[in-house]
Amino acid sequence: MRRDVVSKIAPAPTAASLAEAFTARLLFLSSMALLLAFPFLGANEFTVTLLTEGLIFGIWAMSLDLLAGFTGLMSFGHASGLGLGAYTAGYFAQHVTSEFLIALPAAEIVVAVLAVLLGVVVGRISGVAFAIVTLAISQVLLQIGIAWLPVTGGMDGLIGVPVPTLFGYKLESGESFYLIVAVILILVYLALVRLANSPFGHTLQAIRLSEQRAAAIGINVRLHKCAIFVVSWLVAAIAGTLLVFMKGGTTPMVFNWYQSGYVLAVTMFGGLGTLLGPLVGAIIVTFLHDQAISLFKAWQFVFGLAFVLAVIFFPAGIAGIAIRTWNRLWESRC
Amino acid sequence: MGKPLLIRDLSKAFGGVRAVERVDVEVQPRHVHSLIGPNGAGKTTVLNCVSGFLRPDAGRVVLQGTDVTRWPPHRLVAAGLVRTFQITTLFGELTVRENVELAVRSRLGQNLDVIHQAGRLGQARNEAEEALTTVGLLDRVEARSDQLSHGDKRVLEIAIALALNPRVLLLDEPTAGMSRSEAERIARLVRAIADKVSIVLIEHDTEIVMSISDMITVMARGRVIAQGTPSEISKDAEVRRAYLGVVEAEMG
Repeated sequence: MRRDVVSKIAPAPTAASLAEAFTARLLFLSSMALLLAFPFLGANEFTVTLLTEGLIFGIWAMSLDLLAGFTGLMSFGHASGLGLGAYTAGYFAQHVTSEFLIALPAAEIVVAVLAVLLGVVVGRISGVAFAIVTLAISQVLLQIGIAWLPVTGGMDGLIGVPVPTLFGYKLESGESFYLIVAVILILVYLALVRLANSPFGHTLQAIRLSEQRAAAIGINVRLHKCAIFVVSWLVAAIAGTLLVFMKGGTTPMVFNWYQSGYVLAVTMFGGLGTLLGPLVGAIIVTFLHDQAISLFKAWQFVFGLAFVLAVIFFPAGIAGIAIRTWNRLWESRC
Repeated sequence: MGKPLLIRDLSKAFGGVRAVERVDVEVQPRHVHSLIGPNGAGKTTVLNCVSGFLRPDAGRVVLQGTDVTRWPPHRLVAAGLVRTFQITTLFGELTVRENVELAVRSRLGQNLDVIHQAGRLGQARNEAEEALTTVGLLDRVEARSDQLSHGDKRVLEIAIALALNPRVLLLDEPTAGMSRSEAERIARLVRAIADKVSIVLIEHDTEIVMSISDMITVMARGRVIAQGTPSEISKDAEVRRAYLGVVEAEMG
């Protein structure tokens, strides 16, 4: 299907491959620097906010990539982790403290407990069953969000979540919040790349390629599927926490199936199993979405059509195109 | 410590079809114990029940004195019972090295390791190369496994199994679809491995079975119809009728 990109083991270094690695690192570092400096390069408030949203969306898409791309588990209900993170962090900020470094772990703990309980169940299934069960879970959460009035605020959702603080300093301006999001994004990305290249990452890859074969070499398939399900939800909950602080609230619609479909489409559009692809895809789609909404009334139709065409003509996604171009560049040079 | 592998009274039905009925097999240390019989005799079903990929309806599986009946595959592998598949099931997108390293790391309990970087674990690398040296596949170590020849793929399967350090190795038709010379290469390999490991071998090639087996169990229609050394089996009248006769008739 696709060559795994993240976990490719490097062959013995040659001068050319060292140069390539150096360029890749330089490119990576400069884009990180650009990301951090973005709000101070004369971008207006609106663009900064839009990019903040794109980065949060990117964290969410990468968390789905852990399941769909790495492990081959197509989740049709990936709004669950995001929504749970948003609700628990929002509720915590309203009732206890809006200190970001306390609200985030608090949300993570709640999500972890639920994810472990559900992971024990979904770790046993694959394929279509996994898709349907994850979809069902998100729809159940949606109904709970609507019905559990005293906690979730019902259909109105959580309103008036306070501005987050960091070590007591209020993150009131768009720039300061943007910086928090960008730093977290970079940390999450680096951690996930490490995870992809770790023995655990390779175990997941083995499970994706053949669960039967994986079991035959002694891999406890259920345990590892459960583990990555939990990790995936925890990362999604980071995105959810950032989202609820960014919007100052959330509604139960955060759980809705079209949210799950949207993030799955964007992750595939970016390139499954590449991390960077879904991240870049999410940022691009966020900006395209903003443009399309003002240009076309039927933007969803346009987006849907673009997605279908992208899947047909570029099945490896944006990352696939980027990698092919990159390789061609280096081949022509050496 | 008991016998390497005991199969007692094993039965398995699919719907109304009794695929395996009250099968008894006793594998001696360092034996190549072949399981033969016509298609549909239930050989692979026995192997699936023993290796945890199917749940037997009745009977027991005892591995070195421990009752391991209905254990999941990964637990059996950890206990030293390893199998290969009839149809090659390698991780096709991965290289030969990666295929074997996954098995080594799994044995070393590194499946959940998120601290290290997989490519830098020296022990897994060395042991993978060791297993590949044993089977004579070291020169293809960086090749993608789906680009190997059919024979090399089957050899790689055996290397992966060896990397798991088995006490008992179940081989399901390792020479299926092979040329004569390739099949003989596998036969020699199996015989050599049996120095350290007890082997249960499902095999259709009568010549290979007769030449490398210490013990043979013959199955037909889900039951064991004969058990003995190669020379005993070749003289057995019932076996001739049920199995060898079929082959002879096909050939003649």
